[in-house]
Amino acid sequence: MGFVGIIVTFVGFLIAAGSVGIMSGTGGRMVLVLVGIAVSLFGILGLINPAYQKNAIWKK
Amino acid sequence: MKKVLLAFSITWCLALAGIAQAQAPAAAPAAAAAPVPITDADIKGVAAPKTEDRAAGDPAGTLTGSVADIPVGDAKAGLSVGDVVNLVGQHQIAINFVWTLVTGFLVMFMQAGFAIVETGLGRAKNANHTMMMNFMVYGIGMLAYWLIGFSIQEGGVGAVANLGGTPPLNGEFVVHLLGKDWGLFGTKGMMLGGATYDVGVMVMFLFQMVFMDTALTIVTGTAAERWKYSAFLISSFIMGAFTYPLFGNWAWGGGWLATLGTNYGLGHGYADFAGSGVVHSIGGVTALAMAIIIGPRIGKFRRDGTPNAIPGHDIVLVLLGCFILAFGWFGFNPGSTLGASANGNLRISSVAVNTMLAGMAGSFSAMYYMWLRYGKPDASMTGNGFLAGLVAITAPSGFVNPMASVVIGLIAGVLCALSCEFVERKLKLDDVVGAISVHGTNGLFGVIAVGLFADGKSNYGGSWNGVPGSVTGLFYGDAGQLVAQLIGVATLLGFVFTMSFVINAVLEAVWGHRVSAKVELEGLDIPEMGALGYPEFALKPEPVLAD
Repeated sequence: MGFVGIIVTFVGFLIAAGSVGIMSGTGGRMVLVLVGIAVSLFGILGLINPAYQKNAIWKK
Repeated sequence: MKKVLLAFSITWCLALAGIAQAQAPAAAPAAAAAPVPITDADIKGVAAPKTEDRAAGDPAGTLTGSVADIPVGDAKAGLSVGDVVNLVGQHQIAINFVWTLVTGFLVMFMQAGFAIVETGLGRAKNANHTMMMNFMVYGIGMLAYWLIGFSIQEGGVGAVANLGGTPPLNGEFVVHLLGKDWGLFGTKGMMLGGATYDVGVMVMFLFQMVFMDTALTIVTGTAAERWKYSAFLISSFIMGAFTYPLFGNWAWGGGWLATLGTNYGLGHGYADFAGSGVVHSIGGVTALAMAIIIGPRIGKFRRDGTPNAIPGHDIVLVLLGCFILAFGWFGFNPGSTLGASANGNLRISSVAVNTMLAGMAGSFSAMYYMWLRYGKPDASMTGNGFLAGLVAITAPSGFVNPMASVVIGLIAGVLCALSCEFVERKLKLDDVVGAISVHGTNGLFGVIAVGLFADGKSNYGGSWNGVPGSVTGLFYGDAGQLVAQLIGVATLLGFVFTMSFVINAVLEAVWGHRVSAKVELEGLDIPEMGALGYPEFALKPEPVLAD
C-alpha cells in the first residue's frame, strides 16, 4: 500500500504540471491543478501514512 | 474565558485605533530644476581638501572622502566623467554586495535560533545530540552544496543584474515538453571552480547556501530524540546536494516553475520572494516524510492511539530561539532582493515591515487560539505561531502591503495550531517541534498567499521572472498567478515529498534511521555522542508507561 501511495502522490504532481499543456484556459488549469493537489494529498495522508501506521511502535 | 475575550478585544481595538489615526499631509515638493549636462571640465574644477587640512585630522568627517579618492583611469588625462560614472556603477554593485552578504550573515545566525528552539523543545537527556545535529547540519549541508548543490540550483540562473551580472552561471539543462523548454537543473559552478571563481558568484553562493541550510535544519526538529546520528548525516547530505537544489532551480534558478509566466502566460510564473516554498515547504514536507518513516518516540502515543504530551526541557531556550530566528528573518526576507540600490530595491523597507507585522500577528492569533481553547496562552505554541507568521510571509513579503501581511500572519498562527493538532491526533505522527505545521503547512500557505494578496505595486527592475510588470494576485485581478502558485504547491507535495520519502525509505532499508529502544529510553547523549549535554544535572529516569 505504501508503494501505491508513492505512485499516487507522484501522479498528482504529473496532473498538476501537465495541466499547462492539456488546458489552455486559466479556469481549466486551476481545476486540474487542484485535482492534482488532492490526489497527492490522498497519496500521502490516505495511503502512505496509514500503511506505515499499521506497524506503529505504540501498537506493539 | 471572558478575560481572554476582553484581552483580545482590547488588543485589537487599540490596533484599529492606531490604523484609524490620520496623518498630517506632507508639504508639496519643490519643482525640480532642469538637468545640466556634466562635462570633464566641470569635474576637473572640483577641488579636493587641502593637504594641510587633512594632516590636521578630520574629527567632523567632512573632509574624508572627496574627489581625491576617485580612481583615475588615465593619469595623464586626469579625472573624467567616465571615471565618475564607472565609480557610480561600482558603488551600486558594492551596496548590493554588502547588503546581500550582511543579510546572508543574519540568515546564517538563524542556525543558532533553530538549534536552541529544537534543543529546548526536546528532553534534557538528548540535549547534546540535538545540538550536535543542528551544529553539524551547517557543515554537512555546506559541503554538499559546495560540491554539487549550488551547481544544480544556480548553475543556469544567468545574469543577476543586482550582483553585476554573474555571467559565468550560464548552463541550464533544458528539455522540450508540451511545446516549450523546461529548465531542469543547472550545470555550472560545481565546487566554485573555473569561471565561477567570480566575485558576484561568491555572493550568490553565500546567500543561497545559508538558505539551503535553513531547510535542512527543519527536518532535525521533527526527527529529534530518536534519529541515529550517522543516518542524519547521510540524509542531510543528500537533501543539500539534490532535493533542495532541484526545486530551488525550478523556482529560483531559471527552471520550469519560474518560466510558467513566459511559457504559458500564468502570471509572472511561480513567485516565491524569499522561500516559503523553496526553503520552508521543502523542509516541512521532508520532515513529514521523515516523521512517517521514523515513527513516534516511545511513549508519545498510548495503545489506544491518544497522544501523551512530552514537554520540552527549557521553554526559555525555545522563546529566546524564536527571537533569534525573527532577527535572522530580517536577513531572510529583505535580503532576498539581492540588493539595496536600484531596480526597485528600496522596497527592502516594505519587506522588512511586512516581515515583522506577520510575525506579530501570528504570535497573537496562536496565543489567543490556545487561550480560548485550553484556558492558557501556551508559550511553545505562541512561539510557533510567531514563526508560522514569519514562514507564511516569506514568499509574499516582497509583493504585498502591510495590511495583507497582518491578515496572512493572523491566518498562519491559527493554521499552525490547527495543523499541529491534526498531525498529532489524526495522523498519529510525532513532530517534536511542530516543524511540519510551522514550515510545511504554513510554507504552502505562504506560496498560495502570493497568488491571492500580491497587490501589483512592487517593481523590481520592471519585470519578474521575465514577465513585464508587477506580481499580482487573484484579489487584485490576476487568476493566472494563483494557478502558477498552486502548481508550485503540487510540485512540493507530489514531487519533493515523493523524492524525500523514497530517499529516506531506501536509507531506512539499508542503514536504518532509528536508534534502538534501549538507547532512546536512556537518552541519545551518551550512546550516540559519548557525553551528556548537562553532565551535572540529575536526570529523571524514564517513567514506566501505562496503557
